[in-house]
Amino acid sequence: MELKINDATIEVASSPDEPLLWVLRDELGLTGTKFGCGIGICGSCTVHVDGVATRSCVTPISSVADKAITTIEGLSTTDENGVEVLHPIQQAFIDEQVPQCSWCMSGQMMTASAFLQQNPSPNEEEIVNAMSNNYCRCGCYVRIKAAVARVAQAEVSA
Amino acid sequence: MTTQPQTKRWQVSRRQFLIGIGAGTATLAIGLAASAPTLKREAQLAINQAFLNGEAPSSDTPKAPFIWFEIHADNSAFLYIPKMEMGQGIHTTLAQVAADELELDWERVTVRQPDIRHGFDAGLLFTFGSTSTTSLYQPIREVSATLREMIRQEAAQQLGTTADALTLDKGTFKHGETIVTYGEIIANKQGEWDIPEDPAPLKDARNFRYIGQSVKRVDFKEKLTGRAVYGYDARAEGMLYGAIARPPRYQATLTHASEGTAKSLPGVVEVVIQEGFAGVVATTRRQAYAALDALELTWEGGSEMSQAELETFMRFDDRTDGVLIQREGNPNEAFQDGATLTAEYFTPMAVHAHLEPQAALAEIVDGQYIITTSTQSPEISQQSVANGLGIEADQVQVIPTFIGGGFGRKTGTDVALEAARLAQAVNRPVHVGWNRTEEMRYGYRRPPTINILRAQISEDNQLVAVDHTLSSSDTLFAEGIGLPRFAQNILGADPLSASGSQLIYNIPNRAVTYHHRRLPIPTAYWRGLGSFANTFAIETFMDEIAHALQVDPLEFRLRHLPEGEIGERIKIALETVRQASNWGQAMPDGMGRGLAIAYDRKTVVALVMTVQVDGEKIQARQAWCAIDPGLVVNPDGAASQVQGQIVMGLSSALLEEQVIENGLATDSNFNTYPLITLRDTPTIEVFPLKSADAPTGGLGEPVIGTVPAAVSNAVFAITGQRLRRMPFNLARL
Repeated sequence: MELKINDATIEVASSPDEPLLWVLRDELGLTGTKFGCGIGICGSCTVHVDGVATRSCVTPISSVADKAITTIEGLSTTDENGVEVLHPIQQAFIDEQVPQCSWCMSGQMMTASAFLQQNPSPNEEEIVNAMSNNYCRCGCYVRIKAAVARVAQAEVSA
Repeated sequence: MTTQPQTKRWQVSRRQFLIGIGAGTATLAIGLAASAPTLKREAQLAINQAFLNGEAPSSDTPKAPFIWFEIHADNSAFLYIPKMEMGQGIHTTLAQVAADELELDWERVTVRQPDIRHGFDAGLLFTFGSTSTTSLYQPIREVSATLREMIRQEAAQQLGTTADALTLDKGTFKHGETIVTYGEIIANKQGEWDIPEDPAPLKDARNFRYIGQSVKRVDFKEKLTGRAVYGYDARAEGMLYGAIARPPRYQATLTHASEGTAKSLPGVVEVVIQEGFAGVVATTRRQAYAALDALELTWEGGSEMSQAELETFMRFDDRTDGVLIQREGNPNEAFQDGATLTAEYFTPMAVHAHLEPQAALAEIVDGQYIITTSTQSPEISQQSVANGLGIEADQVQVIPTFIGGGFGRKTGTDVALEAARLAQAVNRPVHVGWNRTEEMRYGYRRPPTINILRAQISEDNQLVAVDHTLSSSDTLFAEGIGLPRFAQNILGADPLSASGSQLIYNIPNRAVTYHHRRLPIPTAYWRGLGSFANTFAIETFMDEIAHALQVDPLEFRLRHLPEGEIGERIKIALETVRQASNWGQAMPDGMGRGLAIAYDRKTVVALVMTVQVDGEKIQARQAWCAIDPGLVVNPDGAASQVQGQIVMGLSSALLEEQVIENGLATDSNFNTYPLITLRDTPTIEVFPLKSADAPTGGLGEPVIGTVPAAVSNAVFAITGQRLRRMPFNLARL
């Protein structure tokens, strides 16, 4: 089966019912997408499927065969000199010094970047709603909100 | 990931210092043996304070360096920081300390995670108890200053001048028009380095360049691009995946096991059955877990305890039973006619819920077991694998990775041994990564605690006595990862379950009595240890006394401050949050304020929270937290730690409870055990206070116990209802 991941077409050997998460991590070595719960609640495994934030732990690869999958490894880009250019949400997470352990942060940023693509100028309530379905056990929530607001140039309470 | 076994150890060439010249003469690698003037004392103090000479890693035969610098010819510097990075920012904090004293250019500093092969065998990698900064601050400064002066002397010699004629800035010396870097001096060095017996003078605090600054975290670029490697991410050529059979009840024993049809299932490479152990190795994780169901297993014995039985078991009725752990004045006499006020509190079991489950990769290379794992305690993992396999510790190398949340749980070493057992059986690399159900049920958890507090108020409205009686289960007494039984019997009270139970207020008569209850359910280290439950109970009870005396809760605390320096520091913290929160201002309907303080791990904390009650819904809206750990090395990092503890404390106070039925935790995932999210997170203001010239207290834990107390006290201010059982539930009152 072929998958389109981060603009590349990749042949995978896993069975069609294998969750995308484990194909990414274990078969392809794209370990930036994290496992947390396996039932689609914590959000650590969030990737983009055709631009939509999707929980890869409950997504069999058979359902994404013809779709464009983006993982954290594909969020940044490379300029003409071959230098890595961080996505604005990655830069904002650095600027706001968001993470602690950072295990959940790929999922947070994939969720945030898909949200901002849909809604580039959200207000505080919209940001809170969009980002309240991803767990962060270290408790970086106030900084996650600040980082998303920074990209959106929104005023939020801290 | 490939790993090269490296059995050769650097040799100590001097009494205190250890120097190795790296490949060619372009690199100076230097570390300080653990017998450095203050390091051994501090390391021992930290370990003793927490472990009371138990089975903690030995620190009495130091023969290895504790911090390792590499300075290359191009003046780039690599610092190997001997603590695990689990989100607390310790790699950044300790690198700030080293770079400051060594006068490095921060832009040229790279921090690397050391491993046991870099010689840290004195128990120093063990990361626990919020002790890393306080125990290593002074020793790192001493070795960094000494290295700085060694290079300065060498530079003077190479330039044909005296050391005091050189100016130093960012790893570069200036002498007139001549500019020369550390890297060049080191590359040009002929012969052996001359090592002073005594540490060089330390910098004056006024000249600190990095200490006290919100330097940005060194590990974020690789973490935020998904490149950082955690234990769950460890990979090796040809690796397989393992899964382990788990008991249906705690303490059940595997008395019979056979393969059943497991071997014939897709992807299954091997079924591994050993004494009390059954596991499967397969080509994928799902195949390994699926095959567990096909094993034929007989489990016998174990506990069938229910939650109701657990709570009955935790009770204590006879007040003369138990171990007296604090007595001031004459509390027996003060309470001979009973108490004016009595209240009982309950803190349930809870899981750590770190989002990266336990994980380890085990490989066997040339007879060496290479274990790549996310652990707070690499040395204990090493010993645990060696003991479990019946081999020598030096046949086991542990490569610690970034940790995706620890909170005390990753001091356990179960997964490293599980991976090693399976790798041994198939002689191929095997990765074991627990799933969420295993995390929810088969780790250890926060002990449940009952606290009963009593107060005696005299006829003239003076608080004359408080006593505190509690029962809790294992923390330091935990089987296999705590004190040996003989030491437990001498102590009687588990000192870590009892942490934070002391009554520090200036009240004439005080007593604390501890009842140990050994549950048939594994409990142990959880963030804050006993101080979570105990601070909740004590600080809520202080609010109850204040209301009984009709005194403002903040004023009440000021009137009963401990004498001396600690009291002074608490007073400043209280005044800080009083002013910041505008304490005492009228609140709108449904809103109220709660206050709590702590003195934990030598750090003073004062927390005010604004809470909203809407029907039965309790929501924290604002928090102001003053912290005084002596000196804060990185204020923004400290703020992160405080924010995190407030969020985790709220999650516990409002949502989290692990219950058991038939001897097993009922929850298997977040669907029935939810965590708090952004929506229920308050705004948080943090006020770092300075009371010393060096960090004297820890920051990873002291705040967390104040959170449930502040919330409970705020809810009382709003509703007049007193919440004494977590998770808080107004409907249950």
